[in-house]
Amino acid sequence: MKPILSVKDVSRAFGHVQALKNVDLDVFPGQTLGLLGDNGAGKSTLIKVISGVCIPDEGKFTCRGQEVRIEDPSQAQGLGIATIYQELSLVDTRPVAHNIWLGREPRRWGIFIDLHKMERDAKEILGRLGITLPSVSVDVEVLSGGQRQAVAIARAISQGGDILLMDEPWASLGVEQRVLVQRMMKDLKGLGKAIVLVTHDLSNILEITDKIAVLRQGKLAAYADSKSTSIQEIIGWITGALAGTIPEKGV
Amino acid sequence: MMTSFLRRQGSWMIIGLVATLAVMAVVFSLASPYFFTPENFLVIGQTIAIEGLISIGETVIMIAGGLDLSIAAVAAVTGMLGATLILRGASGIEATLGALGAAAILGTVNSVVIVKFRINPIIATLGSLLLFRGLAEVAAAGNNVVIGTDTWAFLGRGYFVGLPIPVLIYLAALILAYFFLSYTVIGNYIYAVGGNHEACRNVGIKVDRLRFGLYILTAVFSGIAGLILMSQSGTAEPMALNGAELDILAAVLLGGIGLTGGRGSVIGTFFGTLVMGTVSDGLIMVGVPLYWSEVARGFILIFAVTLDSFRRGGGYR
Repeated sequence: MKPILSVKDVSRAFGHVQALKNVDLDVFPGQTLGLLGDNGAGKSTLIKVISGVCIPDEGKFTCRGQEVRIEDPSQAQGLGIATIYQELSLVDTRPVAHNIWLGREPRRWGIFIDLHKMERDAKEILGRLGITLPSVSVDVEVLSGGQRQAVAIARAISQGGDILLMDEPWASLGVEQRVLVQRMMKDLKGLGKAIVLVTHDLSNILEITDKIAVLRQGKLAAYADSKSTSIQEIIGWITGALAGTIPEKGV
Repeated sequence: MMTSFLRRQGSWMIIGLVATLAVMAVVFSLASPYFFTPENFLVIGQTIAIEGLISIGETVIMIAGGLDLSIAAVAAVTGMLGATLILRGASGIEATLGALGAAAILGTVNSVVIVKFRINPIIATLGSLLLFRGLAEVAAAGNNVVIGTDTWAFLGRGYFVGLPIPVLIYLAALILAYFFLSYTVIGNYIYAVGGNHEACRNVGIKVDRLRFGLYILTAVFSGIAGLILMSQSGTAEPMALNGAELDILAAVLLGGIGLTGGRGSVIGTFFGTLVMGTVSDGLIMVGVPLYWSEVARGFILIFAVTLDSFRRGGGYR
């Protein structure tokens, strides 16, 4: 299978801190890649680089076999890359429909919001994903954590996202809400979406991912099939106690 | 659904403000036979039109999560410049465009300091308040610029269909601002940026560009108010509207706009402005000395800030 997105030799420094150093990563359609690592390992920076929020100092991107540039979030969105951030993706004081279409509002006469279309399409997307909410015109702040994450996912899907970057999607969720998000991830995988999941939580990482990439001190420390590894091995890669296996460059 | 809509418009606050206005109307009417008269309502309208226009700009910038304390100073500078241009032979249109252009430049100063240099807007606009007031005084060596009441009077003293022009300009600006904020894409971004600017940045909204423009817009609203005030009195004063920024801030907070942004509407601000204007007018009507009016307005400002804090689930712990 060919990767839908490849990241090659990506480096990014913040002042004297080298957040990413020559990182390679392949993301495949219909698969979930677990992006793991300790605090400061470079996971969030890599997500920001792929989503166009942060421009890398060096590196190349290939999307669907074509070399592409990702220099701002709208370019990433245009390539079908959608990001679901842990805390930063929703505007609490705005309604569900406005959040789903934030930055891509359907318009009338160029300057006015087409509120009717916005709400109708929001309902359609939520219905397609099996998400039940009180209404698309309620403010996000009245929703539960799981419902909020569902809205963020609906937004990613509404962007036409084939590559979903999920940064700690259940960090602040209860057990039931976490199950809801994991069920949605499974459904999305079934629809052929590629998912990059950033998490600290290793509890059932091997069941919900197909591949594991471990970052350590800004470098790719390991890249493996989830079926052929173990939690102990992953912890070893994260802490540096074990040396990981990384595919050769260009493969 | 309805609850969310009402919360966004700050309508619970508006209901409270209307009740407050009703109580004040009864009390002031009982205390003075001159309060509940059409003439006095026109006076209140003329008075709140000036601060009301400024408060529209302040509302927009505060919904976007910003703050501007230099608004009244910008109005004073604009009035001074407009009057000076008229005395030097400029036509009404030339003076208006020149003075509003200057207001836009002052707004740009705020934008650069706050958006580009990332300075806290309270500190930045406190500084620019002093700077602009100082400039207004330096420009005329501390003197007023008198154009007289016969020159360029229509803007501040004219009437149309029985209503003062300043009131009509204010109401038109209010309606336009309401529709702009509620139904346009940019209006939606203003609320969204105030609610969570990082989320907006992550979806590609040009947050800094938007805020940059809004500080300029706020200054232009102040500029229009400054020109109307100058036209009303036939005189531009460097210390015009001195301290009015605090009345305006109180009106905006009373109207349901929070210090953290993201919610409220210009309709709420309208009622907040009406409460502030009615308090000032009513106290004068019942013969309370002027300094007591300042005490009352100071109390309302503290009350409004406290109310905003509790509204956000904060308050003293």
